[in-house]
Amino acid sequence: MKSDKVRHFIQRRIRRRFLFAGVTLILYFSYALNYTEMGSFLNQRLGNSYISGSLLMYALIIISSIGLEWIFLRTQEEMSSQGDEG
Amino acid sequence: MKNHPVSRLLFGVVCFCSYPVFVAGAGIDGDLQRQSLNPLAILIFFLFVVATLSITYWAAKKTSTSSTFYNAGGKITGLQNGTAIAGDFMSAASLLGITGLIFIGGFDGLVLGLGAFTGWPIMLFLLAKRVRNLGNYTFIDVVSERLDKTQIRSVAILGTIVTVILYLIAQMVGAGKLIELLFGLPYEYAVVIVSGLVLAYVTFGGMLATTWVQIVKAILLLTGVTMTAFLVLLQTGFSLDNLFQAATLKHPKGEAILGPGVLFSDPVQIVTIMVSMTFGTLGLPHILMRLFTVSDMVEAKRSVAYASGFMGYFFLLLVVIGFGSIIMITGESQFYGTDGKLIGGTNMTAIHLASAVGGDLLTGFMSAVTFATILAVVAGLTVSGAAAISHDFYAQILCKGKPDEKKELFLTRLTTVVIGVIAILLGIAFQNENVAFIATMPMVVAASVNFPILFLSLFWPGLTTRGAVLGALVGLISSVSLIVIGPQVWVSVLGFENAIFPYNYPALFTMPLAIITAWIISGIDRSARGEVDRSNYYLLLPRSELGPKVSD
Repeated sequence: MKSDKVRHFIQRRIRRRFLFAGVTLILYFSYALNYTEMGSFLNQRLGNSYISGSLLMYALIIISSIGLEWIFLRTQEEMSSQGDEG
Repeated sequence: MKNHPVSRLLFGVVCFCSYPVFVAGAGIDGDLQRQSLNPLAILIFFLFVVATLSITYWAAKKTSTSSTFYNAGGKITGLQNGTAIAGDFMSAASLLGITGLIFIGGFDGLVLGLGAFTGWPIMLFLLAKRVRNLGNYTFIDVVSERLDKTQIRSVAILGTIVTVILYLIAQMVGAGKLIELLFGLPYEYAVVIVSGLVLAYVTFGGMLATTWVQIVKAILLLTGVTMTAFLVLLQTGFSLDNLFQAATLKHPKGEAILGPGVLFSDPVQIVTIMVSMTFGTLGLPHILMRLFTVSDMVEAKRSVAYASGFMGYFFLLLVVIGFGSIIMITGESQFYGTDGKLIGGTNMTAIHLASAVGGDLLTGFMSAVTFATILAVVAGLTVSGAAAISHDFYAQILCKGKPDEKKELFLTRLTTVVIGVIAILLGIAFQNENVAFIATMPMVVAASVNFPILFLSLFWPGLTTRGAVLGALVGLISSVSLIVIGPQVWVSVLGFENAIFPYNYPALFTMPLAIITAWIISGIDRSARGEVDRSNYYLLLPRSELGPKVSD
């Protein structure tokens, strides 16, 4: 019974790992869309500013990846404490 | 392609930010003007050397066993290790190379920064904890926990040594050229100084000294880029909008620099670079080795998160520095030679920018940081190479995991000296060669050999030793072969008109090939050893996820 719980706990963790890694890789490789036909759409200037969508995308990918890491670490701490209780 | 400056710069930059090998494509085979001796840069660098040698003296007293040599006794904290990882990976060369690319191509230069950054979140999500829980000193320990130790260690040592040696060649050649350029020192002197100092750090201080050298360097580099970016923003009223507007007004390509298409237009080429950079990072032996310098899995995860934060900050500041260089340097006569070209080539852009916004003081500081960077990176590589020979080969294969402690430590130091001498010899031997292809190989090899076997051994129950060994060999052979028939060797080195394989960074093709080979061979492997390998996955799973204490 206990080993079943541990196995489920580990499987949940593995799924979570791949979920976070998958989201990061999707974000990352979406950058290549700038070099496809979508590039002209992504590259539009934001309003009257000289900041383009492509430049914003670069910054957002880095910032959101760091945000994902923070969420990953926080939720893992919560999972660990739940696992300890279990 | 052959003499195209963008292509040469790109080769160098990929190396720069990937591990961060010190090769400025334009700095390797281009005609560069040696700078006059810069006393301020030499003074700052001298202070750095005194500080790091003092650290080494302190570290040497604590490095009395092979364990402390390889992993600093596992007593480095998460924050310290994260800073050291950033110091090992993020280089002044990333600063020089990517700034140079943004200077000539605007937005397109950023792809390399993103590629260098993105391996780190993936490292945290997939590898950091499991690698730390299963290994002791090297990533080879991790894969050999589950698979046949002798066979998989042999292949993984091959992957490590190929990566480290190629890396060292590119590093030493790039170091010699760039130091010649920045400090006005002769090439051979630069190579010998770099190797001599690294030998002092590593031979006596092992991983502990290497860690602190990398920490000091990371702090210096982050300080330098922060000061430069601040001074650039001061010029634009702290407005990014003003920064980009001024850049489009100065750059010959105008508003085109705000988006893709100035340097690159082929999406497949972009994806090949992105795959090589990200997955190559995940297979670099000297980076993975840093995960064992902390006490446990929690600190290992923290290390990667801190490293990621530092590198994210660095690569975001490069936007300001790159576009700032367009504003401050373009058309300013003091930065151009009589031939109308930028003095020192495009890789000197960041140094010229430091000069434009911070005068001699900042120029001297940034030049010294550049030298310090080389030392930190070569030190990390040397520890990794020494561990592969003395720990993975001698202690684990020849002595079956029961080496004489004193002999192992002696061999480790001897190996360090040998690697240092090899680095000098290769650095001088390749002085006049186009090493762009050598600089590309380690990242592609790491992505095609080390990463597949590490990833599959951690996450796929079906992997067997036979599958891992053949997958790794296919990854190694295919990556080297495709680089040879690609533009960098086939056209640039061998002189053929057209490349047989069109891309410079084949990891997009060779990494899946290695994984598919491992999958097929493991699937048809019905050997007794294969059954052991499969069952080992489940035996090791609790330890890899929960740590040795919990799983006990």
